Amino acid sequence: MSALKKITLTINGKKKEFEVAPHEKLVKLLRRAGYKGTKEGCDEGTCGACTVIMDGKAVFSCITFAFLADGRDIQTIEGMGDFDKPHPLQSALVEEGAVQCGYCIPGTILSAEALMKEIPEPTDEDIRTHMDGNFCRCTGYEKIWVALRKVIAEKKSSKP
Amino acid sequence: MRITDFHRPGSLQEARAILKRLGPGGLPVAGGTSLVFTSEKDEKVAVDINRLGLEGIRRVNDEFHIGAATRLVALQKHHEAGWVLDRVAVHLASQQIRNMSTLGGNIARVFPWADFPVALLALGAVMVVMGDAERGIPADEFFSSQPARLFQSGDLLAAVKIPALGAGQGFGYSKQTQTSMGFSLVTAAAMLEVDGSTVKSARVAVGAGVPFPCRVAAVEQAIIGKRGNEQAFKDAAAAGMAGLKFKSGADMSEEFIGHLAQVAVADALTEAWTLAKGGPS
Repeated sequence: MSALKKITLTINGKKKEFEVAPHEKLVKLLRRAGYKGTKEGCDEGTCGACTVIMDGKAVFSCITFAFLADGRDIQTIEGMGDFDKPHPLQSALVEEGAVQCGYCIPGTILSAEALMKEIPEPTDEDIRTHMDGNFCRCTGYEKIWVALRKVIAEKKSSKP
Repeated sequence: MRITDFHRPGSLQEARAILKRLGPGGLPVAGGTSLVFTSEKDEKVAVDINRLGLEGIRRVNDEFHIGAATRLVALQKHHEAGWVLDRVAVHLASQQIRNMSTLGGNIARVFPWADFPVALLALGAVMVVMGDAERGIPADEFFSSQPARLFQSGDLLAAVKIPALGAGQGFGYSKQTQTSMGFSLVTAAAMLEVDGSTVKSARVAVGAGVPFPCRVAAVEQAIIGKRGNEQAFKDAAAAGMAGLKFKSGADMSEEFIGHLAQVAVADALTEAWTLAKGGPS
């Protein structure tokens, strides 16, 4: 057995210490720490269900070694909003019927959040490029796009 | 590979000392994304190379120097006259992968579907390896088979140097996949230098659909010194690639992959030609 080593992560703004095995992936650590909104899907860096934001960039937590996240900021779906106070992205996805089984949605929201933090008013090309790692097998993507465009349009119209 | 321990050196010197001590049991890790494609029976001690100052893109005279631990997203989002790797990076896997994977990781071990070896062969890149002395290895030598053979314990891929393209030069790139983030079926890249309506020099490379990424000298020879146009490039690709061995895969025959490769090479050449002539970028 490999020895456990200490790492520190800042998850949704809170600094936490963990003991990790060298081979442990970030998704396993997050889920055992209670952040179960992070979904395990393909477990091979394809489907996007496990997407979290690390230092501002969307990453697949299923193939990210936990030790490589040491000292970094992690944002999970738990940091986005909740049932009473949903994040605008969450509201838009619900309103546009973009959530069916819902399994891909935490990852989809985090990819969209990372995109909009980096590019506040993304073009369709930006959306296509930045959302290319989030599979949805229910909606055919159209409703997800409608919801994202709605959030972008609302941002534009609310500008002073 | 299964990671049994990890080290987090803070300098290149420290990292090299650790890798030297570990020998074949040590593995430099930056993004770590390609380990999913390796066997877990193979145990390695990871050496995290993210804190060695190996990140970033610098323009040095008529070259770009790219740190080996530079994330693909940085290549994707770099836009500057003479820079072409944004066009390669944006078509690689998905944004989450591009945010983690590095240029060094894409080339230090060549996976059959890897795109950057093809682009770097066409560009005539030089790989900078830090050993007891720093040495530059030209792409033709680096990619003649798996690069691991060129590394002693403690050697580390530190940077990649590529030309900054100027007037009269163009780079073309064509990657064929089944789905947008699928593995490449064929990747083709070409760099041309033009003189009026004539091809002055050419470097053409293919990967993915062939056993190992390689230059296609017969295509290059067929166009150098000749007038360039789309039909000439199609003819050169068809004739010059007839002798290459292609791999079947993804329910596609060797013949089909071979045809796809000809089309991809002709497309890359046409794009390189158009850009070298000052056409739309």
